[in-house]
This record gives sequence, C-alpha cells and structure tokens, in this order.
Amino acid sequence: MNFQYSFSRRRFLALSAAASSSLIMPGWVGKAGAAPLAAIKEEDAIIAFGLTGPVSDEGWNTKQNEGAKAIQAAFPKAKTLVVESIPFSADASRTFRQFVQEGAQMVFSTSNYGDFFASVVERSPEVAFLEADGRRVADNLGWYYAAHWHPTYVLGVAAGLLSKSGKLGFIASFPVPMAISSSNAFMMGARSVNPSATLQVISINSWFDPQGANQAASALIDNGCDFLFGVMNEASYLQVAEQRGVRAAMWSSDMRRYGKNAYVSSIIPDWTAFYVDQVRKRLEGTWSGGGQTLLPLGGGIDRDAWGETVPAEVAAKADAVREKIIGGWSPFTGEIKDTTGAVRVKAGETLDEVALYNWDWSVEGVSGLST
Amino acid sequence: MDIITGLLTTAVLAGGVLALAALGEVICQRVGVVNLGVEGLMALGAVTAIAVTISVPNPSVGFAAALLVGLCFGMVFAMATVLFRANQVLCGLALTLMGTGLAATVGRAFSGMPAKATFQPVIVPYLSDIPILGPAFFSQNILVYLTFIILPVAIHYLMFKTRHGLNMRAVGENPGAADAAGIPVLAMRFWYVSLGAALAAGAGAYLTLAFVPSWSDGIVAGRGWIAVALVIFARYRPMNVVMAALLFGLITALGYVGQARNWPVAPALLGMLPYLGTLCFIIVPVIVLRRMRQLPAAPAALGLPYFRDVR
Repeated sequence: MNFQYSFSRRRFLALSAAASSSLIMPGWVGKAGAAPLAAIKEEDAIIAFGLTGPVSDEGWNTKQNEGAKAIQAAFPKAKTLVVESIPFSADASRTFRQFVQEGAQMVFSTSNYGDFFASVVERSPEVAFLEADGRRVADNLGWYYAAHWHPTYVLGVAAGLLSKSGKLGFIASFPVPMAISSSNAFMMGARSVNPSATLQVISINSWFDPQGANQAASALIDNGCDFLFGVMNEASYLQVAEQRGVRAAMWSSDMRRYGKNAYVSSIIPDWTAFYVDQVRKRLEGTWSGGGQTLLPLGGGIDRDAWGETVPAEVAAKADAVREKIIGGWSPFTGEIKDTTGAVRVKAGETLDEVALYNWDWSVEGVSGLST
Repeated sequence: MDIITGLLTTAVLAGGVLALAALGEVICQRVGVVNLGVEGLMALGAVTAIAVTISVPNPSVGFAAALLVGLCFGMVFAMATVLFRANQVLCGLALTLMGTGLAATVGRAFSGMPAKATFQPVIVPYLSDIPILGPAFFSQNILVYLTFIILPVAIHYLMFKTRHGLNMRAVGENPGAADAAGIPVLAMRFWYVSLGAALAAGAGAYLTLAFVPSWSDGIVAGRGWIAVALVIFARYRPMNVVMAALLFGLITALGYVGQARNWPVAPALLGMLPYLGTLCFIIVPVIVLRRMRQLPAAPAALGLPYFRDVR
C-alpha cells in the first residue's frame, strides 16, 4: 500500500527524534503561529496534488483523488492539478517544483516525501504546502493525517469477539509508527473483550505486494490465526481469508466484493471536508503554516459498514465502543505494558494523539513487529 | 492445515509463477536469445487474463488469450532481435517498460475487480492421500500440474531426446554451423522466442487466475526478473528450472512462516532468505563438487544476433 513511509535510515532517525522530543504540540490541531498567506481569487487559484500511486488503486490514492474532486466541486472556477504515481526519488522534487512553476498556490503532498518535498517547500515561501503523515512544520507548511487508531480499536473489539482461537494475524509493511500504532490499537481492542488474545505480525517489506501479502496470509492462517488485519491497500489477504474460511478487516476502501463471507469492515479515510476547508482558508487569506491536524474518528476516518456475516450483537458491542470514543473517551489509557511486560503507560495516564501518531513500541500480546 | 503442508502448498503456488515464466525463458535462451522482457510480458498476460475472464467467465479462455497476447508481443520482439538483429538487451528492456506501462493503462478499467473466474483445484485420486505431500502437490489447480509436470517433461524430451531438440540447441551454441548444416536458424529462433514469450505471459495469467485473483498495477512486483535469474541458476535445463523455482518458492514461504511462528530473526533478514539461499545454492556446490565447475553454462551464442554473411 502506498502509505506514508519510505523507510530509510534518515527517515528512521527523524522519526525517532520526533518520537522522543516533547517539542511537538499535542492535540488535534497544533499551533498556527505564522502570518497568513495573502488571499487569492477563485478563478486564479491552482491547487496541486502529488499522489504516490494510480488514482485507480481503490485505496489510498483513490481516496486522495476524491478529495481533489471535492475541491473542484466546491470551487468550480479554481483549477486542480493531480499527478499520479510520483516515485520516492528526486523525481518527486521535480514534480513539486513543476507545480510551483505552473503557478500553484497550494500543494498537497499525499505522502511523506521527506527531503524531496522539503527542498521545494523551503524555496517557495509564497506557496502553501500540506504534507500527509508529515512531521515538520514551517511558515508555509503544515501536516495532516487521520487518527486511524480509534476506528482500528473498534475493529479490534469486533475481532476479539469474532475470533474463536484468540489468535489474530496482522500483515504489516515495515516496522514504522503507522504499522505499530495500527497493530497496537487492534490488539488493545481485541484484548478489551478477550484478555488472552494475541496478535502475530508479519512484515512483508513492501507497501504493495499482493503475492507477498497472499503468502503471509496463508502462513498466518496455517499457524492458527482466524482473523486477519493489515495495512495493505489491496484485497489479496481478504481473498485468502475467504478461501480458507476465516475473517478479515481491511484498509482504505470497501472490499466486500472480494470476499463477502470473510469481510468484517475496513478503516476508511475521508479527506474531502478537511481539504475543502483548507482551500477555502487559503482563498480567503486566512491560511497559515504550522498546522498539525489529525482527523478524528467520525470526522475524516471511520469504520466501513459491517460485513454481512458479522452478527448484530458483535456489531452493536463494537459500535458502542465507537460511540464512547466519539464522546471523548480514550482507550489508550494506562496501564499499558509493552511486549517485555514493562509498564510503559502508568494507570490513569493517557497517551495523547501525537504520542499515538509517533508510537514506536508494541503493546503486550503483539509479536513480530518490534520489541 | 498442517504447517508443513501449508508451507509446501504456498511454495508450489508461488513457485509456479516463476517456473512457468522461467520455462519460457529457457526455450528462448536455448536458441540463443536473451529476453529481458519477461516482467512486461507477465504484466500483459496478467491483465489480459482478467480482462478476458470478465467478458468470458472461463479461466481456460483467459489463459489462452494471455498466451496469444504473449505470442504476439513475442513475435514483435523476435522480429526486432532475430530478423532485424537489434540489441537483445535493449529490446528486452523496452519490452518490459512497454509491457508494464501498457498493462497499467489497459488495466485501469479492471483494477479493483475480483477475477470473475479462477482455476479451481483438481484433486488427483490416490496421490492426494499421501500424508503431508499429497495435499500440497496433488490438490492444486490444473496450471500447477501443467507447470510442474507436463511442460518440463515435454520440453526436456523435446530438447534432449529428439533430433529437433538437437537442432534447437545447435542454433543456440553455434548458429553458423547450424546454418551450414541446413537448419533454418532464423525461423527456429523466431518461433521459439515467440513461444517463450507466450509462456511468460502465461505466467502472468497464472498470477491473476490461480494465485492473486485480481489485477492491480505492479502486481508482478519483480518476479519476471527473478525468473530470468532462475534460468541462469538452473543452468538452462527445464527440469532444474522447475526445481529451482520450487526451491525459491519454498524459501520465500519459509520466511513468512518464520515470522508467523515468531522465530527470533529480524523480518528483514527473513525477507532476504530467498536471495541468501540462491547465493548459497550457487556457490556451495561449485566449491564442494569439482565436476560442477566444468559443466557448460550458457549457450555459446547467447545474446549474439546471427548474421549469415559475416563469419
């Protein structure tokens, strides 16, 4: 899946630094200290999107493209530029520079392109930049992402109730915070209803490799797992689950047509409202850099409608947890232990959103991802 | 399912993709042409199979259509490299780039659609009752039997037991001598290169009709290159190629089983297993067995275009 991370040493160091630093402001929306950029007339506006894969991927990029379409619908006189399949290389810099040369006043990078993106941001102070899954901010740069751990916790509750063996499987890409927070939230959700549940993770060392995900799914099921989840953008492990008669939950889009018996639900992001709001601010002249946004459960990230084989009482129990989270309750409250059994979050303490965003250790019960 | 049976089942399924593509490449290289377009041909075959099964929900039709598309692109490649004597490496790379690009463009309409028809397992009576091995080897779909038993035996027999096969190998070893002996060098190369390309596209169809039943851009994920490497690893012999592909599939599957069973090895290292394994299997026998060093490797005229008038 074309998610958020290109896993390089530099990236890893940056993440570790971000995770250990307390300078990042907590909360849904961080500081916006810089002076706003000047207003633009709608007919002059050019909004650019850099995508990691094809818009037809039925996943991450399809959802990003829906965001671009929503902007076009809301501001019909503005022009939107969408470039697909930008590689994680110097070509990314070239593409973003091209956006600026073509006169774009606002550029969305729908993934973390690291320094390839940052170099363009620094040279174009008059252009507004937003980076999905970013960690850096500047006077013309903000980052945004979705608090996917909340709906993932809800799916974890359903998995804990549906799994007979108590052994859950997770197909990850790389041991990066996105995969760690996702597996942790899933495990904690499952353990809230089945304290003896365990989660086995396999990293397939790719964001997109249907053959690898297929084999990983078979290995997990052979090992006794009867519920699969993962951060892949495609349906191959759902198809394996369907064939083998176990259940699976997915990411990014409704994939029930690939396996209607196995499909439980999916984590679905919806960027449209956020994107339209950001563009409106830019046009009005109220947009400024430094924004740090994590879209909340029910406001940009949510579960999909439950699969047809999910019993009503399971759906009801999981949805009750969903309502509770929307009401302000955080499931990520101590005591939380890591895989070695050491207490990492004391009873009564709660991990804030930025800590969850940068999560770099696995909770008790998860094996295979990190120590 | 038993863990070893599960391991073998995925090894056979995953290895089959490589085996089919590599068998095509063996035919091609044995007549003296390197086809580096396997990756692109696989992508084309994969998308063709999906597109055809959507209108005609029969996996055999989809597979046949993929073979046909592979044959056509193989003929274009053979025309350039064999008849017009263009550089084989450049043409192969061009075929890969064109194939993956074209497949991505054509595939746009089909991405996100599950395959309408797939090959279902055909259980071989008696043999499938063998404990552990039976379910893994004899409860698979028809393409697996074709790839692991029928095709390698047929190609081996053709290549090493018939006069035609001798001629074929002569074309790859010394096209000048073969020509002097009255063997139609260019026709032989043209048709076997096209046939090899058809099998590579067939491997793509195997992927979407029997292994990962849907199309998405990038689905081949470098397996075409591994198939080319396997041919060299297996010393250009069809039986060895199939065994090498199976071994590769087995080691890959072992990496995932290792993670699933939580072996205390870093996932990145387990992911490296197939490549480390291949290195070991190439290096160790050469060191241990003296005889292995003297085995003829590549066909002598591999990669060289044949000019009748330049000797």
